Amino acid sequence: MLLFRSEQHVDRWCAQWNRPRGGTLSLAQGWKLAQLWYGDRLNPEWKPMNAEQARSVFRQVGLVGEFWKLAS
Amino acid sequence: MSGDRQLVHDPLDRQVRLFVYQHILRREKSPTAAEIAKALACSTKRIRDSLSRLSESHAFMLQENGELWRAAPLSCIPTSFPVRVGKHSWFGNCIWDALGIPAMLEKDARIDASCGCCNYEMPVEVKGGRLAPGRGLIHIAVPAREWYRDVVFT
Repeated sequence: MLLFRSEQHVDRWCAQWNRPRGGTLSLAQGWKLAQLWYGDRLNPEWKPMNAEQARSVFRQVGLVGEFWKLAS
Repeated sequence: MSGDRQLVHDPLDRQVRLFVYQHILRREKSPTAAEIAKALACSTKRIRDSLSRLSESHAFMLQENGELWRAAPLSCIPTSFPVRVGKHSWFGNCIWDALGIPAMLEKDARIDASCGCCNYEMPVEVKGGRLAPGRGLIHIAVPAREWYRDVVFT
C-alpha cells in the first residue's frame, strides 16, 4: 500500500511493475482506516478481527465494491 | 485479519504479543525469539511456536529464519515508511501501517513517505489526532481477499 502524488503516478507505477490498477483511497480515508484497524492494538485483550468486523470497518471508511470484498 | 476471534488463546501468546510491542516501542527494534524466551523465562522453541500461532492472524509475520518481520503496524525491518513520534522512530510496512503507528499510540507523528512512483518527498503529519492537510492518494494493488497471498505488492 503505497502513497502517490496523483492518479497519473499510480498509473505509471502500475505500468512500470506490470500490475493491474487496484483500489485507491484518500489520505483521510487511510487515516480513518488506520485508526479503526490499529486503535486497539495495544489492548492486552486484543483479538484479531473476524471478516464481519473487517467488513464493518471498510464500510465505515467508505471502502465498498468488489475490490474490498473479503473471503468469508 | 482472521475469521477466528479465538486465535490468541494461549496465555503465553498474550504475553509474547505484549512483550514484542513493548520491546519494539521502547528499543525501536524487534526482539529475537531467543530474547523473548529469556525475558519470559521459557524455551526458544515455545516462543517460536507462539510466534507461529500469532502469525496465523497476519498481525505478526515471520521472516524465513523464524524471526519477526512485522508486528503490525510496526515493521521489524527497515522500510520506506519511517515514522517519527517525539524522539522515537519506527517503521511501518506500508502507508497504512505507517498511519497505524500514531493511531495505535494516539500520538503526534511525522511519516517521511515519498511517492511510490517517483520518490518525490511526501511527508505526512498527524497532530492532535488529526491528519494534517496534504496531497496524495493511497493505492492498494491487490484486492482485499488476496492481501496475504501477495504481501509485497499489496
